[in-house]
Amino acid sequence: MSVASALEPEVRAQTTRKAQRILGLYDKRCTGCRSCELACAAAKSGTYDLSQSRIRVVSSSVNSFSPVTCLQCARPRCLEVCPTGAIVKNADTGIVSVREEKCVGCAMCALACPYGGMHYSSRDAKVTKCDFCDGDPECVKACATGALEDVNVVPLVDTLYDREDLVSPGLSACLGCNAELLVRFTLKTLGRNVVFASGPSCIAGTGFVGYGPTTGAKVPTYHSLLDNYASMITGTKRYYDQIGKEFHAVCFAGDGGTADVGFQSLSAAAERGENIIYICYDNEGYMNTGIQRSGTTPRGAWTTTTPVGAQRRGKPQHKKDVALIMAMHDIPYVATANAAYLDDYYAKLKRAMEIKDGLSYIHLFSPCPTGWRFPTDKTIEVSRMAVETNFFPLWEADHGKFKINREVPFPKPVEQYLRLVGKYSHLNRAEIDEIQRDLDRRYKRLVALTEM
Amino acid sequence: MVTEQVKHTSNAARGVGKVTVMDGNKAAAYGALLSRVQVLAAYPITPQTPLVEYLSQFVADGALKADFVEVESEHSSLSVLHGASLAGARTFTATSGQGLALMYEPYNRTPTIRLPIVMGIATRDGISPQCVWGGHQDAINVRDAGWIQLFVEDNQEILDTVIMAYKIAEHPDVLLPVNVCYDGFYLSHMADRVEIPPQEIVDEFLPPYRPTHQILDPDNPMSIDPLTPNELFMEYRYKHLQALQRAKQVIADVDQEFASLFGRGYGGLIEKYRMDDAEIAIVGIGSPVGTARVAVDRARDEGKKIGLVKVRALRPFPREELVEALRNVRSVGVMDKNVCFGWGTGVLFMELRSAMLGVPKPPATVGFIDGLGGSDITMEHYARAIAIVDDSANGLAHQEITWLGLEEE
Repeated sequence: MSVASALEPEVRAQTTRKAQRILGLYDKRCTGCRSCELACAAAKSGTYDLSQSRIRVVSSSVNSFSPVTCLQCARPRCLEVCPTGAIVKNADTGIVSVREEKCVGCAMCALACPYGGMHYSSRDAKVTKCDFCDGDPECVKACATGALEDVNVVPLVDTLYDREDLVSPGLSACLGCNAELLVRFTLKTLGRNVVFASGPSCIAGTGFVGYGPTTGAKVPTYHSLLDNYASMITGTKRYYDQIGKEFHAVCFAGDGGTADVGFQSLSAAAERGENIIYICYDNEGYMNTGIQRSGTTPRGAWTTTTPVGAQRRGKPQHKKDVALIMAMHDIPYVATANAAYLDDYYAKLKRAMEIKDGLSYIHLFSPCPTGWRFPTDKTIEVSRMAVETNFFPLWEADHGKFKINREVPFPKPVEQYLRLVGKYSHLNRAEIDEIQRDLDRRYKRLVALTEM
Repeated sequence: MVTEQVKHTSNAARGVGKVTVMDGNKAAAYGALLSRVQVLAAYPITPQTPLVEYLSQFVADGALKADFVEVESEHSSLSVLHGASLAGARTFTATSGQGLALMYEPYNRTPTIRLPIVMGIATRDGISPQCVWGGHQDAINVRDAGWIQLFVEDNQEILDTVIMAYKIAEHPDVLLPVNVCYDGFYLSHMADRVEIPPQEIVDEFLPPYRPTHQILDPDNPMSIDPLTPNELFMEYRYKHLQALQRAKQVIADVDQEFASLFGRGYGGLIEKYRMDDAEIAIVGIGSPVGTARVAVDRARDEGKKIGLVKVRALRPFPREELVEALRNVRSVGVMDKNVCFGWGTGVLFMELRSAMLGVPKPPATVGFIDGLGGSDITMEHYARAIAIVDDSANGLAHQEITWLGLEEE
């Protein structure tokens, strides 16, 4: 049985709008103490028989543990494979539960679940699973280290599940490319009613605009010049406005095309109040050209044109804060976002799509494994650490009102971020301290803006 | 001025309009207005600036229903037009000298992605020694970017040529951008008699632009200008060059159609003046041709069998037409308001010489460089030039290239 048939259409539509709570599982905080299993077993069976627990702590190697339980999927595989319709998803809470009276114990669901969320009891020939304890999970209360959290998620999967990927498969991006993830996510969110400008940059380099007679995008896409994204799309938007055709005019530009050579046309379009969405994916340099410095390369970073040698130690200058500069144009909407917090980016892009009174600017932090020198499976980790250290705070300015969207109560030292990224590997204590001081100063300025 | 081939006014034509006096920038603005352009973008630069002001006023008054994008640079003005043209709009801009130089990147892309944009160039010498005055060097320097370049002689021709330029640019055999090049100051700022054709007849002549070759439209998604590899690139170039050659016929046809409706024609690619029995000739381009007509008339009065050929299209170059027009003359003097760096000549001189290669018994060709940096090409200069052409026709010794302004001092 599919979700579509298990839920009435109106109810489905409602679930796509609501936030849903799930258990956040943080492997790195898990010590393997199994307190969660005890708490769950006690709550669900009245015993300390750990086999009755609906959460499991598994160990993949020595001193490495992962809590495993149901993620209350938006499109549960268990529900889809259940032959008797015993598994249902509550339209209001999003909780997936097993109707014991219908369960025949075939364990198809346990086989189908990719997350180990279903627990088959051979004694009872039934399946059990996490039911979120009526909204107050015992396991979360029992966890001393914060490895389990009761988190609210925007039901992104619900919203985007049926959406077509508007980018062709097989783009020739580098392994671990964050920008490819971002462009796919961006277009899934925007939908088909766009005209997209993608000029010389990594994304165009991957074949997104196309190669010869082929195309990489399923939406109208123009390979703009490196320096004319904003002015070119202005012409398209103005004409369609004139003839009453509604659509979203979107630029998806790299940091060089935004902060450096294209800044003049961007600044002018912002000043003129052009109603376009300008997205900069900032990989902090000319990565498609082969890792040269740009205006957004941070201080201390190695690039091929800010090499490390006896006389020079990476880029001596600050990173240009383009988002803040754009906010100073008094445009209606400016935001920063990051692939580790896609729900936040989703909300910001939706906000940008609502804006009709001028230009929206979104600055995406886009770690580049190739150019920044870190392993290809660390892209999201680097993104997240950039936020947790306040290196790249997530904020927005909506009609002049500044807000930090993800406050970090106890920011980690920037060194933890810098150590993840090879382009900073040459930095010494004094240099790291200087970067920390500078970061603190800039963050204070941002906080001050939110207090205005 | 009535010529042998061209009737400049004819009351029989339906397109007779209101006669007024205006400068060249205003004539260009009227051309855009009557062509019902939909998106405009321009950045002020001497000597084109008044054009930007006229167009802004037309939009402010509601006479022109268009979006005027007040861009921060010429690079952006042409870029805005790219986006608008790709969406299907009829577009217009104009520039001069330094502005054209700044525009170089989108300028080169305009014809290579086949956008039928029309752009005025109030021609200006460039760029150093610092000079704001007239000359053809700005437009000449970009003659090989793949645009159609039409040079005009007077303000009426500016207005008429802007209208014709859209018809040429948007023709399915062409689909290329057109420059309407008019002399900075000599035309841009000179007031002259101009007849404003009636809008309804212009509408009849120039239907709305409907792109069929490419569009940026969510309802019809396509990628425009993706990375284009080797052989495909060559194919695109080949087709671009073919289109420029086809444009020759289209330019001539459009001129004839215009003449039939409005009573004014310009000869198409070139115009011949008093050439029927001419033994020597002057070949010129742009506003200096006006002076040349008078100089030729005076020389005729003195008994010289001289004619004049005005080059309207520098690109595509009217090679066959020039050869044909000059086949019976013994010597030709070419008046260049530009230089061809590296050849020590003017560009028109060099190209005319190339056109004559392989022609049996070609005329002698003599080059003149004059009018740079806003200097005057006077009647005396023309008289001197005609004397040198005469010498050459008679086998007397003469310089290949004469700098007329410098020679006096």
